[in-house]
Amino acid sequence: MDFPRILTGNWEVPDVHRIAVARTRGTYSRLPKALGMAPSEITALVKDSGLRGRGGAGFPTGVKWGFVPPAEKRGGKAVYLLCNADESEPGTFKDRYLMWCDPHLLIEGMIIASRALDCHLGYIYIRGEFRYIARRLDEALAEAYAAGLLGKNIQGSGHHFDLYVHVGAGAYICGEETALISSLEGERGQPKLKPPFPAVEGAWRSPTIVNNVETLAVVPWLIENGAAAYKAIGTEKSPGTKLFSVSGHVRRPGVYEVPLGIPMTQFIEEQCGGLLPGRTLKAVIPGGSSVPVMTPDEVAKCSMDYESISQNAGSYLGSGGFIVMDDTTDLVEALTNLLRFYAHESCGQCTPCREGCGWMYQILCRVRDGDANVQDLATLRDLADNIHSKTICFFGASAAMPVQSFLTKFRSEFLDRVQGRGAGAA
Amino acid sequence: MPKVKINDTEIEVPAGTNMIEAAKLAGVEIPHYCYHPHLSVAGNCRMCMCESVTPRGSVLEIACNMQAREGLAIRTDTDQVKAVRKSVMEFLLVNHPLDCPICDQSGECRLQDYYMDHGQYDSRGLEPKVSKHKRQDIGDHIVLDAERCVQCSRCERFGDEVTGTGDLRLMNRGDHTEIGMFPGTRLEHDYQGNLADICPVGALTSKDFRFERRVWYLRETAGLCTGCATGCNIQVCHQDGEVFRYLPRRNDDVNKSWICDPGRDLHKRVGSLERILRARVDGSPCTTAQAELATRIRAAGNRVGFVLGTQASLEANWALIQLARGNCPEARFFWVSGNDGDAIEKSDHLLMDIDKNANTAGVQLLAEWVGNVGDTDALREADLALLIVLEDDIVSRLNGGALPELAYFGSRENATSAQASLVIPVTHPAEMDATYVNRQGRVQRNRRATNPLGEAAPAYAALEKLGTALGKAPGTGLPVATFLSLARAVPRLAGLDYKVLGNTGRLLAPPVAEAK
Amino acid sequence: MSHSAPNAVSRGPREWSAEQNAEIVAILARYPTKKAAIMPVLWMAQDAWEWIDLDIMRLIARTLDLPPSHVHAVASFYTMFKKAPTHRYHIQICHTLSCALVGAEKIVAHIERRLECDEHGNSKDGLFTLLRVECLASCGSAPMAQINEHFYERLTPEVVDQVIDALRAGTKLQEPRPEADQWIFPVS
Repeated sequence: MDFPRILTGNWEVPDVHRIAVARTRGTYSRLPKALGMAPSEITALVKDSGLRGRGGAGFPTGVKWGFVPPAEKRGGKAVYLLCNADESEPGTFKDRYLMWCDPHLLIEGMIIASRALDCHLGYIYIRGEFRYIARRLDEALAEAYAAGLLGKNIQGSGHHFDLYVHVGAGAYICGEETALISSLEGERGQPKLKPPFPAVEGAWRSPTIVNNVETLAVVPWLIENGAAAYKAIGTEKSPGTKLFSVSGHVRRPGVYEVPLGIPMTQFIEEQCGGLLPGRTLKAVIPGGSSVPVMTPDEVAKCSMDYESISQNAGSYLGSGGFIVMDDTTDLVEALTNLLRFYAHESCGQCTPCREGCGWMYQILCRVRDGDANVQDLATLRDLADNIHSKTICFFGASAAMPVQSFLTKFRSEFLDRVQGRGAGAA
Repeated sequence: MPKVKINDTEIEVPAGTNMIEAAKLAGVEIPHYCYHPHLSVAGNCRMCMCESVTPRGSVLEIACNMQAREGLAIRTDTDQVKAVRKSVMEFLLVNHPLDCPICDQSGECRLQDYYMDHGQYDSRGLEPKVSKHKRQDIGDHIVLDAERCVQCSRCERFGDEVTGTGDLRLMNRGDHTEIGMFPGTRLEHDYQGNLADICPVGALTSKDFRFERRVWYLRETAGLCTGCATGCNIQVCHQDGEVFRYLPRRNDDVNKSWICDPGRDLHKRVGSLERILRARVDGSPCTTAQAELATRIRAAGNRVGFVLGTQASLEANWALIQLARGNCPEARFFWVSGNDGDAIEKSDHLLMDIDKNANTAGVQLLAEWVGNVGDTDALREADLALLIVLEDDIVSRLNGGALPELAYFGSRENATSAQASLVIPVTHPAEMDATYVNRQGRVQRNRRATNPLGEAAPAYAALEKLGTALGKAPGTGLPVATFLSLARAVPRLAGLDYKVLGNTGRLLAPPVAEAK
Repeated sequence: MSHSAPNAVSRGPREWSAEQNAEIVAILARYPTKKAAIMPVLWMAQDAWEWIDLDIMRLIARTLDLPPSHVHAVASFYTMFKKAPTHRYHIQICHTLSCALVGAEKIVAHIERRLECDEHGNSKDGLFTLLRVECLASCGSAPMAQINEHFYERLTPEVVDQVIDALRAGTKLQEPRPEADQWIFPVS
């Protein structure tokens, strides 16, 4: 496979987290061009490239940027750029490596984005468990400031941009963009009602753009190579490369950058090294724990892009957290595990999610332990349906979709359990 | 104004009207817990979900976060909406304790009400409930039971947005989210009672009212708080002649949905031991006190004075003026400003005015109309033999100094009743129809909730009786007629009557000079 | 049996040191509002005083002009702010799906046995507190645990024993980083 390593190209370069080394790899070399462009040109370029948000929702990045009201309609309000580095979707760990290995690429991306958005203050919101990475980012920021790449009048362009790291403290929900904003503002990390959307009224009630680490790290490449070059990679609607975090039962778990659109089976065989010897595939969660699970048949039909996964498997590419489960997996146990996660991480703000996640988890514990009946499975399904799309944010759906998909696609395994037979017994 | 559609009803409402309010105007009730008209929108209970009908199909959305704009159409009566309400009820109740029989909220609990209207499912909650802290004493007026809470955050928003005290907060997260105070602190503000009012369930209850009476026995009458010049609108809750509590009555122009704790406590004055229940003359009960007073007024001749009452209603003051004019043409009027001896002199920028009299503006209005009303100094200098005092505790207000013989029309014992040689009992506001003018110049109506205690009569009726004894009655036996004659005579009240005043009152017309 | 961590009651009123005050000034300069400084200041306090007690919450409230209840509410929302003391080494072991698929429970059981943990996760030797946590974004190198700030990945009972022995012997923790700057983990 021949494709440019847009995101991982520097990862094997020793000390590339130091600005001197990073510069030898071309980092910050796109800045003069970007700072010479009109902000609207940069946004148009990103729009044309078809780059989609890599945090999970897959929303076109340039379109999102375009939602920020023009200066004359902002009433003097600032624009904020927030990098979502809260990476906490189970099965996802790509941003951790990106920030650790190549922090300057992210900073360069953010400087360019700030120019496009007429933004002068940004934050990297990083999860609390990554404090050691936050320190590395702080060092990188200090280097960038010292080199005149941040702060006032960057490279004589007249553009100024201040960038700080804000460290979270253990709350999955803060990866949701409005919860991230609440948390940054010094509130409990609870999502806000939409509308208003953050691009219009976000942090401190000002227009705010929240982008994932990986998304922002693509931007310098787009400046250098143009939209057409990006569109030439991947598929028509899912252009570019994407980082996949692979975990579970494969021979080579890890982070892989591949062009979108390669066949999923090929990805498992070639990148992931295939399954462990003697095992067969049972299920795959393709985009982080929140997306619907896929069966082996669906895996065989899908390629690694947004459209294929949604059309052929009713699931989502999400964050690219690719969790592989082989035939040794007890799927009842697996789903119970996930619901414990959602019950623990529900922010507790709105009714269905607050009360429903814990309830679903308790029922699943009974299913797992052989204390449930068929009616409990029906209740479980009902609860998931009653949570999905009835909540303030997408968390409700995130907790509901695993339940709905596991119960539908692997129904017999659950039925076996409620009839008193364990997964291994049959 | 934009036209919006709720189910099949189309109505015009001001742009930006919250759709829960718009639906109310269209006669459609949208159930809700967290929405409150005088707090910011939180959108967390999800009970108000309805279908927003768009050209691309209908979408489930919460009504409280929708503002009226041209063409907005919602449906609240679809199967989908009904199913959502039922499931929200199920979620809210799955961890709710089954303690309705011992819960003081029973009868005015939205969990109970909405369960009957929108729930009615077969319980499938088999899991153990989450337990939280119960029976917490968090303030002088409030008890908190966190297990009963539905996490609607109304109380949190009240503390942030109304009192600015930020005391109650949701702690923890997930289904362990729990409302509480910072350990070791208590509510310190004077609006605590409102927390019990806005709490839609039994989490925050009023210490004063707890276990006093089941609410379904209570009747509610629209009254006014007469504790200060603000004139907060209240509901007087009573049963069999006994008043159990005051609740705020919504008036967006006066008190929104709130009242202060000192005002709320004033319900205790209705049946208090301080009430004057019998007439007395020279310290002894007397069944012919009015006749005796008439005799003494006649004996005083030109040397009789009348003190208008800032605590008395417009009708009572009008009766006093008419009585004096009809029977003592030489009589002089006075007005003693200040607060009574038993006034709780707290004030703030919210509702508690430093002026603890309900009708100072009304007295001012009538004084302007009468002309030449003497102030405190004039009263001290006047050569009088007898002073007729209407409700105000002028002895405390004057704080010493010689006074002539006093005749006092009052509802409770105080320094003036102690000094007066003639005392005539009058009603507490809960026992009469009357109007008052608040600090904004808003004429507001107070309705009679209970029967007068003892021999008390509304002051206007008592003065009517006195006038009869003197030979010329002021014609103020009935409040409706009294107000009408008042409104005909006083230009700034022109056009007003009880019906026009309605439940929220009317502002006085500007003074004639300004009107032009 | 409970091998309790240090006494969990209030430790008495606190004041900021001169260095901390300077740090607070620097933090405040980064945000448009005082309130936004709450998380960095909580972190700063936890770094200095190990866990966040009520006196520290009061101090932060005073410093940032916030009601103490707000500081309490925020601190209670985020699991990494400790509201009770832990022992010197806080082992946070991930038990979410990807780790569970490759044996996290076995590692937990091994640690519990090895450290003789009580029901609160406190070790008998008074050095460790074990806590199960949700996904730490180290799924490719599972099973894993975070000890204080440090990530330990691809845990096996043997690796766990080595780490515990080293920590007991007072060896300094290794520099925390994704395993050996490596992001692909072939299973041998």
